[in-house]
Parts: sequence; structure tokens; C-alpha cells
Amino acid sequence: MALALQAKNLTVSARIDGALVPAVRALSFDLEPGRILGLVGESGAGKSMVGRAIAQLLPAGFSITSGALLFEGEDVAGMPPRRRRALLGRAIAFIPQAPMTSLNPVLTVGAQFDEHLARFGAASRRARRDRAVAMLTAAKLPHAAGLLGQYPHQLSGGMCQRVLIALAFSTDPRLVVADEPTTALDVTTHPPILTLIADMQRQHGTAVIFITHDLRLAAQLCDQVTVMYAGRAVESGPARAVLATPAHPYTRCLQLANPSLRAERRALYVMPEQMPSLRQLRDLVGCHFAPRCPLVTDECRRGEPPDIAVATGHRAACIRTAATAGIAAAVRDDVAVRAGEQPLLQVVGLQKIYTVGAGPFGGGRAVAAVKRASFSIAENEFVALVGESGSGKSTIAKLLVGIEQPTAGRIVFAGEDLAATRNRAQRAASVQMVFQDPQSALNPRRRVASIVTQIMEAGSRHADWDQRLARTKDLLAEVGLSADFATRLPGQLSGGQRQRINIARALCALPRLLVADEIVSGLDVSIQAQLLNLLARLRAELDFAMLFISHDLSVVRHLCSRVLVMYDGEIVEQGPVAAVFDNPQHPHTRALISSVPPDEPQAPWAALKA
Amino acid sequence: MIALLLTLIVRRLLSAVPILLIVSALLFCVLRILPVDPAAMSLPPNATIEEIEAQRRAMGLDQPLPQQYAIWLRGALHGDFGRSIALRRDAGELVAQTLPATIQLAACAMAIAAILGLGGGLLLFHLRGTVLEPLADLASIVLLSIPEFLWGLILLFVFGVLLQWLPFTGQVAPGLPLPHVTGFLLLDSLLVGRFDVFLSACRHLVLPALALGLAFSPTIMRVLRSSLFDVYLEDYIVQARLRGLSEGRILLGHAFKNASLPTLTLAGVQFGILFSGTLLVEVIYSYPGMGNLMVDAVRNADLPLIQAIGLTYCVVVLLINTAVDSLYVVLNPKLRVR
Repeated sequence: MALALQAKNLTVSARIDGALVPAVRALSFDLEPGRILGLVGESGAGKSMVGRAIAQLLPAGFSITSGALLFEGEDVAGMPPRRRRALLGRAIAFIPQAPMTSLNPVLTVGAQFDEHLARFGAASRRARRDRAVAMLTAAKLPHAAGLLGQYPHQLSGGMCQRVLIALAFSTDPRLVVADEPTTALDVTTHPPILTLIADMQRQHGTAVIFITHDLRLAAQLCDQVTVMYAGRAVESGPARAVLATPAHPYTRCLQLANPSLRAERRALYVMPEQMPSLRQLRDLVGCHFAPRCPLVTDECRRGEPPDIAVATGHRAACIRTAATAGIAAAVRDDVAVRAGEQPLLQVVGLQKIYTVGAGPFGGGRAVAAVKRASFSIAENEFVALVGESGSGKSTIAKLLVGIEQPTAGRIVFAGEDLAATRNRAQRAASVQMVFQDPQSALNPRRRVASIVTQIMEAGSRHADWDQRLARTKDLLAEVGLSADFATRLPGQLSGGQRQRINIARALCALPRLLVADEIVSGLDVSIQAQLLNLLARLRAELDFAMLFISHDLSVVRHLCSRVLVMYDGEIVEQGPVAAVFDNPQHPHTRALISSVPPDEPQAPWAALKA
Repeated sequence: MIALLLTLIVRRLLSAVPILLIVSALLFCVLRILPVDPAAMSLPPNATIEEIEAQRRAMGLDQPLPQQYAIWLRGALHGDFGRSIALRRDAGELVAQTLPATIQLAACAMAIAAILGLGGGLLLFHLRGTVLEPLADLASIVLLSIPEFLWGLILLFVFGVLLQWLPFTGQVAPGLPLPHVTGFLLLDSLLVGRFDVFLSACRHLVLPALALGLAFSPTIMRVLRSSLFDVYLEDYIVQARLRGLSEGRILLGHAFKNASLPTLTLAGVQFGILFSGTLLVEVIYSYPGMGNLMVDAVRNADLPLIQAIGLTYCVVVLLINTAVDSLYVVLNPKLRVR
């Protein structure tokens, strides 16, 4: 049987300062029709580049410099553009990462379907409409006919992704590239969306390239996986085998850096530094993982390791595969230990109602973002607030730090009613917030020293520059950055470093409560592990409590001792992490827990319906 | 959607009331502070001081300013904007006679600006990354820096005087009748079946409309271009490419409509400026519109007439903004749902 897609020593390079630097190096794989190949790796590993190479839509400056990428035996690089365009959409389809923004906002769903189907055969408007309705129904979208007249912004993210999946499969493609199709969506939509892709793939006999950062998820969904690091396939093999017995130290470290929802609680394995950038790659000799590898030897730094077969069809690019299984992280259980007895924060009957659509003459309707919320946080306690987007988590954060005023209810902090505290500076000193997006939270025109000590500009704490520089030095050391970061601008920092600066700023005035809103959600697993360990260490050193808002239950279980589950503006369940996760009472809590793929690849994932 | 549009329009019209009150009061005060004496100007130069004083009392100029404004406002509410001092005719009537000609000019100019601007914007964007891009870029910046009166003079000189292709004074050729039905000459000449008048009016409109249109098209061009650049960074454009759509189809079928939204907002603001730009162009082409009337009124310190014309400009700009906002609702589905 002919291969659906074959990569033969595929190398995609970027031109940097006149030199060609490979972003994908000598990648080889075979994808048979009707099979799913997972490309797994962190951002910058080059996995998305493969999808882009198929469509020949590489970022500016990137090109295929050697090797071949064959679609059904035909090299896509040498293909005339007309031929490639004829294949795109019909034989090769793409499911995007950000469904909400991947549909044209000014065209109806029907118009976008119609345009797509009109290009490929379906002659009459009637036939195209029928096909669209059939595909949308197959994608389990209710009221498919009515949906055709709707605009993308009227649909939820999950619905947009279903529309895009229906669109992708509507022309019976022979290859579908799904690039992180669930990453931007709420957790509870992950299993149904993945089920839909798997179903469609089976029905249409399509070959699928599934690009993801989640090893556990890949193991559940894919037949084969290829783990990529810094442009190279470091390990490849049958999906379950790779996860069960990883041969490459990077795969193993990645696994250990990811907190588990079900297994024993352990310290997260921290790989130092971060994946080398293209610029750094240029000057790197030897194995690219060597600078972060726990098994590194002198030989690793001398030359690139060869691909070594560790089992049938299971290969790894490492000379130390025999030692990989020995990498381990220490068992720990220090999470609940330090929580104090005294309640620091007490929230009673908190409510926030927004009026939307009101004009200068009134009108509009009331929307309750938070209907009723009561909880407390003890001193030094890390409490998690979990829920889906729109459940009211971020509103609670804004109410706590005083960006918004509650409609009803009380927020008592250290025995004092916060709503009555008019003194903003005083409130800021005791409650601080760390924002979700470290990029937009940092003023791009200010240097790090000025950012982290910003609070020292305010009121009575006004300090001179020497004091601020001294404080900056302490803070940088606390968040694990060297002192020379003080003079940098946010644009010169990586995502993980920015989030550290963000945390340092919040800690500047030694607050007693930190409100952290999804602070690790946009980060790669290895960077996330660094930050989670940092937070655990800071708590031990500095004594502060935290409300940790997250959608990631594994992270919550790792870091927090108590959890609040929010659904539709209400806290529907709360209790110690172990009790809630082991014996969830509310259906929404159960749905959240079942959305997380199991650690063991052999274990069935009940939410992923066959 | 129609209900939504109606709500929007009603809201806008209601909010126009206080705006017009403020503008009219402002105009009134500023005009009265000017060191001109309308009473003296309305009398022959040999009038005595006593005669001027009598005239001043007759005109109500001896009253305190708020009272004067109240008198004017009461009249204005009844459609009486006072009498023009110089022309000795009803100011409202004078405005009503000249406004259609100006609207006609402004509308034609806006159409030209829109066609040139949108076409030019698409072309500029299409040329991105080619050797012609810096050239086109430079051309658009040169165009951007030429104001409407300069265009007026250039066009007048080249096509009117040098090549003698087109007429450049008045609204129609002398000797032709001016039919009056709605006040809009192009429409009226067709209504009464005088195609010769229609043609002549068209030929007279070309140069002034072109001068205004050319002056305002580069802004639209450049905004459309930069909006297109923004839109091309969006995921749905990448996704359209991944579906194999042709570049032309992506530009016209997907990107253009999205990029036209910010362009439309700008065009609305521009139209207000363009409308006041008619003033200089009308003077250059001796076009009998409100602009020429305004220039005469200013020259004669004809306060009631200036007041009436100023207020008319304000009303027109408010109406245009309402129309643009309505169009925005039609084009942007996100604004349609409640």
C-alpha cells in the first residue's frame, strides 16, 4: 500500500545572519493511510513546521533545504503551486489550534462551507447545502441547518472546532493535519473533540498527523508517535511503547516534569534552562539535549548521537538509552504541611452582577458572573480555584484584588472588611495578583528593576532608586534569575522568565495573599515545572497564601492543598484536594477529572469513546 | 437587524439635540464677541450715531447675550434663522437653496475618494514585497500631502486652461436653464428631461469633485492597506490558505470585508472634513454652493447667515456619522446580536 505521507531526511532551515540553521533536522517517518501519527514536543521543537511544510506555507525565511516530504509519493516541495492548491482542502486538510479565530468573523458558517464545497465538485447550491448539513450533523452539532446562518462569534470554541473538523473532512481528504486541536479549548471539550476526530478519521479512512505537546494524550490517540526536541526526532515508535518505556532521556524528563492527576504526588523533575533557540542551535555541537540532560557524558558533547533501535520499530537518538529508566524524581508530600490554622481570607456570599448592552438611556440586562461564592483561605495555604472559561474564576480574582467591586457579599481579609478599605496602597501591600499573560502584564518600556519594584513608587513606601535596586537584586535571586536581569526590557525575556518577573513584582511588598490567574497555562511543561517548584520553594521561604486559579487539575493537585470547583458562577464543590479528586460529588467535578488522560498508556480513557 | 438599526438611529438623533444646542450657543457667543457691528454694517456709510443706535435696538443687539441667544433659538425652532444682513433675505432660505449643490459635490467627491481609495489600497497591498512597493508607497505619500485646494488649482490649470477639456466655473454652462424640483441639479435635470443640462452639470462637476476626491483618497488608501496587513495576520487567513484558496479569492472574498471595517470608521470621520473642504473648492470653481455663500457671509460679517451655515455643517456631520454607524452595524455581524 502506498504511504499517505512520508518524510525522508526532511530538513527545514531558516536563514539567520546569513547562515542556514535547521529548524527541523533529518526528520523521517512513514504514515500509512488510516493511521494516526503523533508529533510531540514543546514549543519551538519544530513540530508545527512539519504541518506547514506540507502546505508549503512556512514562515518567512524558512524553506525545505534537503530531504523530501512525499504526499502519496509526490514531493510537495517540487510541486507546482497550482497542483499543490488543488490538493489543499481536497486531499489534504488542516484542523487549526485556535478554532475561535480560524473562521472568518464576517462570513456565516454556511457561506464558508459553501465556498469550500463549491471549489471541489458539488455543483448545485442545494447539493452543497445538503452536504454541509450532513457534515455538521456528523460532527454532532445540533440544529445543523440553523447553524449555517450563524456567524462564528455566536458559537462557542468547541462548536467552532466541530465546524472546522466537519469542514476539513467534508471533501474526504486522504491526509488531515491537526495542530494542537484542543489546546485552546476548555478541558471538558477535549475528550469529545478528540473522539470526533478519531471517529471521522476511522469513517473516512484518513491518515492523520496529530501535533501536540501532551505525551499522555498522544499515547491515547495515536498509533505512532515521534517526540521532537530542537528540530530533531529524538524518539519514535509505537505510541504506547514510547510512553510506557521512554528510551530518550528527554522523553523521560518530560514525563517526570508533568504533574500527575492520579499517581503518587512527587516533586517535579526540573530540566535546567530551556530548549535552545535557533540562534543558539547554530553554535551547538553534539547532542542538542546535552546541556539539559541528566545523563550527559563527554561523548554526548562531541558529536550528534545516531538513531538507535531500542525495540522493534522503537528508536531513540541517544547513546545512553540504557540509563534512561533510572532518571527519577523524589517522592514528596509537603503540600499540606505548612498551612496555618488562622483564616486569612474569608469570602462570604460574594456576588458580582454585570449589566451588559446598556446605553445612555439605561436598558441592558444583568449577567451574574459570580452568583454566590463563600470560601476561606488559611495563612500559608495554597487553595485552587478550578473551572471552565466563563465560570467566574477571573471575576473572583478581580474582586479580591479590588479591580472590581462586588455587588453583594463580604471579603474579610485578616479580620478587616476589604470592601470598606478605601486605601488602595494598603490593599495592594497585602493582596497581590499575578496575571495570566506575562507578556501583556509587563510594561514593554520599563526595565525589569523598575517593573518589579513598581509598588515602591506608591505613597508612603516611596523609595529611592538605590533601595529599589537592592530590592530588585533580592527578588531576582528569589525567583531564580541572575542580577543582570535588572536592566533588561520585557522584550528581551523568554516566556518563563517573564512569568518569573511577574511573580517577583507581586512579591515585592511581601503580600500575605497572592492571587494567581492561570499563571502557568501558556507555558511549556518543562518551564511549568520550573515555576511550580519555584512557587513551592517561595512559600516555604516567604510565608504567603495563594489562590491559584487554573483549569489544569494535575497542576492543582500537585501544588494546592484545597480546591474550589466553580461552575456557572457558583462554587459547586470544595474540599481537600485528595478528597475532591478521589471522590468527586458534583457532576461537573467528575467531568473535569475524566477529561484528563490517564498516566498509563494501557489504561483506558473512559471519556474517549471508541 | 432593522429594529437594532432603528434603535441606533433614534438614539443618535436624540443625542444630537444637546450637541446642536451646545454648538449653536458656542457659535452665537463667538460671533457676538467679534469686533464687528452688524447694526452699522446694515446701514449706509453716512448713517449717524443715533441712527445706528436705533438700528441696534431694532435688531435686539442692546439686550444681554443670553437673551439674544434665547430670541435666536426661539426663531430657529420655528424655522426662522434670521435675515441675512448683506443679502437682505431669509438666512434659512439661502442655506436651503445652496445646500443641495454642496451635498451633490461632496457626495460625488466621496464616491471618487472611495473608489480611488479602495482600489488604491488594494493595489498598494497587492504590490507588497515587490520591487514596485517602495515606489507605490512613495506615490501614496506624495498624494497624501497634496491638499484639496492645490488639487483644485492643478486640475483647473491643466484640464480647464491648458487642455480646455472641461469647464471650470459655475454649475452649468451659461444660458442653460436651472430646473428646480428637489434642488439637486443632476436629479432635477433628469426629472424634467433636459439631458443637455444634465450633461453640462456633470461636466462642471468633474473637476471640483475630482479635486476633493483626490485629496481624500490617499488616507482611505493607506488605512485600507494597513488594515489588510493586520487582517493577514489573522488565523482565518492562514486557514483559508490551508484550504487551498487562491490569493485573489482570499484578498477579495475574505480579507477585504474585514479590513473595510476600520476603513469605514475613518471614512466617516473623513467625510465630515471633506464636507468642510468643499468650501475652498467651491470658491476656486465659483461653484454656487454653501461654501461660496459662507465666504461671502464671512466677508460681510453677516452674522445670522454665518450662524445658519455653521449649524448646517454641524447637522450634516452628525447625520453622516449616524449613517456610517448604521452601515457599520450592517457590515459587522458582531454588532448585530444582542
